[in-house]
Amino acid sequence: MNFIKRAFYSTKAKKGRTLLLTFVFSAILIFILAGLTIQSASLKATENAKKSMGATVTLSTNMENAMKKSSSSDSDDSSDKSDRPDPGSFSITPVDLDTVNTLAKLDNVASYSISSSTSVNAKSFDAISSEDEEEDESSSSNSSNGGNNQQGGPNGGMQMMRMSSGDITIEGTNDTATASDFTSGTAKITEGVGITEDDVDSNHAVIETNLAKANDISVGDTIKVTDSEDEDIVYKLKVVGIYKTSETADARSMRMTALNPYNAIYTSYTFANKVKGDDYKDSADSVIYTLSDPEKMDTFEKDAKKAGLDTDTYSLRTNDQVYQQMIQPLENVESFAKKIVILVSAAGTVILALIVILMIRERKYEIGVLLSLGEKRFKIIGQFFAELLAVLIVALVIAGVSGKFVGNIVGEQLLEQQATTTASTSNNQGGPGQGGPGQAGGQNLGQGRSGNFGRGSSFSNFGASSAKNAKQIEDLNITLSLKELVELGGFGLAISFLAVIIASIGVMRMQPKKILIS
Amino acid sequence: MMLEVKDVNYWYNNKADALYENVNLTFEKGKLYSILGSSGSGKTTFLSLIAGLDVPKTGEILYEGKSLKKIGLTNYRNQYVSIVFQSYNLLPYMSAVDNIVSAMEITHSHQANRKDYAFSMLEKVGITKELAQKNVQHLSGGQQQRVAIVRAMCCEARLVVADEPTGNLDEKNSLEIVRLFKELAHDQGKCVIVITHEREIAKECDIVLELKHKKFNELQFQN
Repeated sequence: MNFIKRAFYSTKAKKGRTLLLTFVFSAILIFILAGLTIQSASLKATENAKKSMGATVTLSTNMENAMKKSSSSDSDDSSDKSDRPDPGSFSITPVDLDTVNTLAKLDNVASYSISSSTSVNAKSFDAISSEDEEEDESSSSNSSNGGNNQQGGPNGGMQMMRMSSGDITIEGTNDTATASDFTSGTAKITEGVGITEDDVDSNHAVIETNLAKANDISVGDTIKVTDSEDEDIVYKLKVVGIYKTSETADARSMRMTALNPYNAIYTSYTFANKVKGDDYKDSADSVIYTLSDPEKMDTFEKDAKKAGLDTDTYSLRTNDQVYQQMIQPLENVESFAKKIVILVSAAGTVILALIVILMIRERKYEIGVLLSLGEKRFKIIGQFFAELLAVLIVALVIAGVSGKFVGNIVGEQLLEQQATTTASTSNNQGGPGQGGPGQAGGQNLGQGRSGNFGRGSSFSNFGASSAKNAKQIEDLNITLSLKELVELGGFGLAISFLAVIIASIGVMRMQPKKILIS
Repeated sequence: MMLEVKDVNYWYNNKADALYENVNLTFEKGKLYSILGSSGSGKTTFLSLIAGLDVPKTGEILYEGKSLKKIGLTNYRNQYVSIVFQSYNLLPYMSAVDNIVSAMEITHSHQANRKDYAFSMLEKVGITKELAQKNVQHLSGGQQQRVAIVRAMCCEARLVVADEPTGNLDEKNSLEIVRLFKELAHDQGKCVIVITHEREIAKECDIVLELKHKKFNELQFQN
């Protein structure tokens, strides 16, 4: 171990050279550490995004097959007619609860949201509508001889009225907490409680705050609604909670009262099914399963099929778009960080190798002396490596201490980048044209006595989801862990080793006679 | 016979310009040899051959009957020969004592307490403990050469070769160095070969070989 002792003497004696090497090595390690921290931070962010975003799989009726069936039955019945399907014969099977529960028990299901919607008419209160609609409805009511019960609306131009096609949307759910509007943050319970599994078969309802204020309804009150097709059928609903929605009425909802977000009443899905009719008992329009790991989406689909899901009747539609959009910038950052690590390591190796080469040229005489004493070449190389190792330890300490600050700076930059990315994601996804009719409503038109009515919430939650996740990423705590320090040490060791090996090619060729005698 | 040079020929670029032609020499233990020659005659090249720093073009060198090639040049330098250079060749970042201890470690000296032994040996050549702990670059030429000789003495090699060891020294120091070499040969039983161009130094040696016209001839000096 004599070469280690020599390395110590040399390092101690040549302070200037040691300081220079320490400075260069520290700079290299700090850059590598920055890369490792970015990598680690982006991995953490990805993990967090995975956990928080989840991914959703929607179980609903297979519309394509339903259309095909409708078309083929039409052509069988009337071969002389055209192939065009008869819109009136279009029938859809709702999702039965047994299937819903079977899939809910599969691995990786974090939560699920049953959705069953329909429309009713307000009886003991007035739905919120616009002036335009009032005029439209007024003329239509007059022409159809309907007995409208119009009243002036208290909320800045809004008016309440009743519609023969239903002016209130009943959003049946198993749990408001898992309903898309609530998970996305669009809706929030402000008073009372939400709908839970305990409310199955109950008449509990959660109404929007504007509707409650306009009609002076509070938690504990009972409200009445009627079937949209038969006003004699009256349902009593007990208000257990009031929620506030940040969703605003668009042009469509201004024309159709039931589409106004303020006119949505959340009830248990069993109540919605009851309104829809006996055919809808123990069924749902659609179910959204939230998976704990978005990357296991394909596995979920396979497991669902294995569990006996009838894919002719039902379809599973996966949606990890938000997750993918959130992950993309993180993956870019991670890839960028990886490149930094590789680039700095390579550059660091070259720089250190050059320094060591110069150092060795300067110490040719010393090498000659050692060779003349019969010292083995690998021990001479070992001495240089030991010297660099001593410098590495000091540089590691310096990089480790400054790495804390580097980590913070890098973390801030990452968050800033993520915030920008998330903002653009929200704009892209939550913008006009993205939110369409909800799956539930879209798929159940014309079915049952009341006809189901969706408000497009299933898709419109994307932008809100992104915003929610941006908030979660802001909470990330990026720290320098032991793992990164160990990795950094590994990189430093590899760089030192490579630099010495490259520089030692010259040592292997050196002849003591040439050095010492000539 | 400790060292035998058998039919050795050496040239740099041209065989026709060979430095030696069929050199045959033997070196015994317990004797101090000097190889005398003018500048450029090939004295130092000869030293590099017998010190295992280079190999002859033809012929061979045997150490106690074994070819240096067989022993291996690195092993030979490590175990069987110590070299003293004109420019001392000490490790510049170490003290005198550390230079000696390092060399003893490299050559796997059997001395139990190497540092104490190095101090005592340095003391013998007039290097005090205080001086011995100083960086070698702070010592005078004579002191450095003495350190280099002590290094050779401590390494336990039975063959010591010195290349112009007094070349950079004044007369007083030169004579002191010669005295040390004599001690190495006569008291410690080592074979010491000194390369020099100074006749006064050569005269002090037991056997003087003069390199002239590619041949080594033994010189006899009258006291």
